Amino acid sequence: MEHENATQDPLRTGAERANASYMQQRRVVIDPITRLEGHGKIDIFLNDSGGVDRAFFQVPELRGFEQFVVGRPVEDMPQITSRICGVCPTAHHMVAAKALDALYGVEPTLTGRLIRELVYAAFMAEDHALHFYFLGGPDFVMGPDAPAATRNVLGVISKVGKEVGLKVIEMRRRLREITALAGGKVIHPVLGLPGGVSRRIKLDEVDQIKQVADDAVEFAEFSLQLFRDVVLGSSAYVDMITSDVYSHETYYMGLVDENDKVNFYDGDVRVVAPTGGEWDRFAGKDYLDHVAEHVEPWSYTKFTYLKQLGWKGFVDGAESGIYSVAPLARLNVADGMATPRAQAAYEEYTKTLGMPVHHTLANHWARLVELLYAAERLQELANHPELTGDDYRRIPTATPSEGIGVIEAPRGTLFHHYQTDERGIVEKANLIVATQNNSARIAMSVEKAAKGAISGGHVDEEILNKIEMAFRAYDPCHACATHTLPGSMPLILNVHDTAGSPMLEIRRDADGGVYRSA
Amino acid sequence: MRTEGSTGVPERTDRVRVLCLGNDLIADDGIGITAAELIRRRLPGVAVVEEAMSGLYLIEDVIGVDRLIVVDAVITGEAPPGTIHVLGECDVAVVPGVSPHYVGLFETLELVRALELDAPDEVTLVCIEIKDAVTIGGAMTDDVLRALPGVVDIVADLVAGAVPV
Repeated sequence: MEHENATQDPLRTGAERANASYMQQRRVVIDPITRLEGHGKIDIFLNDSGGVDRAFFQVPELRGFEQFVVGRPVEDMPQITSRICGVCPTAHHMVAAKALDALYGVEPTLTGRLIRELVYAAFMAEDHALHFYFLGGPDFVMGPDAPAATRNVLGVISKVGKEVGLKVIEMRRRLREITALAGGKVIHPVLGLPGGVSRRIKLDEVDQIKQVADDAVEFAEFSLQLFRDVVLGSSAYVDMITSDVYSHETYYMGLVDENDKVNFYDGDVRVVAPTGGEWDRFAGKDYLDHVAEHVEPWSYTKFTYLKQLGWKGFVDGAESGIYSVAPLARLNVADGMATPRAQAAYEEYTKTLGMPVHHTLANHWARLVELLYAAERLQELANHPELTGDDYRRIPTATPSEGIGVIEAPRGTLFHHYQTDERGIVEKANLIVATQNNSARIAMSVEKAAKGAISGGHVDEEILNKIEMAFRAYDPCHACATHTLPGSMPLILNVHDTAGSPMLEIRRDADGGVYRSA
Repeated sequence: MRTEGSTGVPERTDRVRVLCLGNDLIADDGIGITAAELIRRRLPGVAVVEEAMSGLYLIEDVIGVDRLIVVDAVITGEAPPGTIHVLGECDVAVVPGVSPHYVGLFETLELVRALELDAPDEVTLVCIEIKDAVTIGGAMTDDVLRALPGVVDIVADLVAGAVPV
């Protein structure tokens, strides 16, 4: 906060002070501390030789979700959970609907399922497109050596051209219209009900959906070509993607269909080993037998790991229970893609990188392969004769007790687990969100980047960029905690000496300023 | 564009939208959403939009108007809860891109301008200093609730054409 004159300043209101401050120095007027319980915070502990002993990456978490939902009607869960996150409401909404199916012991009708999948495919395509161009894109499109100041949305637009930017926005808007058509407002969706959906798709709505689907396929192919031209055409990029500092050999988890192809909406949870090959396979409802959570004193996050292997610390390899989720993991666990064009893109990807792929930055490429699959799946669904059927919901009759749902959110496997009394009042809820499944590997990536960037006790501001690159590819989802103004997440890096005493703080605020204090 | 209103006070007739941000499930962060309903009652006919989404998801909410008035919660730590900050867009010097993952309102505005979409000429922020922004299902702080009439007054003035800060 820069209010150097605040004490002798007669100006009383925040707005007056803000304006005065701005006039003086064109600087921050709103402190970046938003709703975050702490900032994105990195603690680095040095060893005797001035290298990195340990590095901890902390992200904030919203408090009290489990307590909040206890005592509420379970049928509210699709609405409540979709409002805890400002970025992936549709993933929470859909997995909550699936958990309700299980809770009430009712299988959705074919039409009900097709409509859910339609909305989900549109959502995945929208989210992946936004991520590639505007969130992950700045690192890739701008080049590995681009200064931080150009690594942003505006940099991307200037590089790829305004037309491409407009294309992304337009595609996103039209995909979102499909979601709205079937399920009402995105942030308060009313689509998913136990046993199906709340509304049918009318015959005269299908043409619009087909047109969007066709255009989405073309858009995905265009995006893959852009990736080939800009990224694969540059050896500097390929070297960066495959560099050791951005690689970890862990297990991978994701949903596969009956042919072991990638599926976002349903299927078995499959786990492959760091050396490749299926290591475990289970139904979502059995997740507690396969996944466990580890607590570290320095983090709010509960780190998930494979129960059979146990928690061995933040280490790579076949002995460690750490696994990863999200696009890279989904492609690693599957034998391919269920649609022809995406399959071709998958083959190009595996031919270049092998299988399984351990390079974290390959997530960006995997995301585009999935974008194409989502678009093709949208096409299939739009052309399915039963999409417009009358029988879009099966009314549940069973007494509820316990239900578990699993889905692939854009950022990875997502579990919802509810227990209720016989009236359907929530007694217990457990959510394992995608970012949590990735959190152990993210912590390792951050530590590796820190180790690569610090030696002989020398720490400079560039380390922030290197560390951000390391966790950006995972697209960790903290958006629920960052929409309050100014909406950008600040990052604090604390360096501690061998005695654990604070030595140095480097802080980058939402205004872009970097502050260093001993 | 300004015309004389029936009271003789100049009223602006350009396109205006009040965008209220927040999450009514999260304690004080619901203030923007609560304000939306009150603003709608006070200003029938004025476009008032509530959003719990963030960043780029706001694209359609920020385009298509001449003036955008944003009501949102903020924690500056510099003022007691319930304080209302009225700011111009340029007061919040957020540099886009310091962290592409946390794209906020301002980056979204920069984007729509870069793409020459129908971006607003003027953005005014009415921010309410809040206290609890992390407790899901948490109660709204009394001091924050007491700010509501003031927020509605300020928004009404801004819509009518009062010159923003």
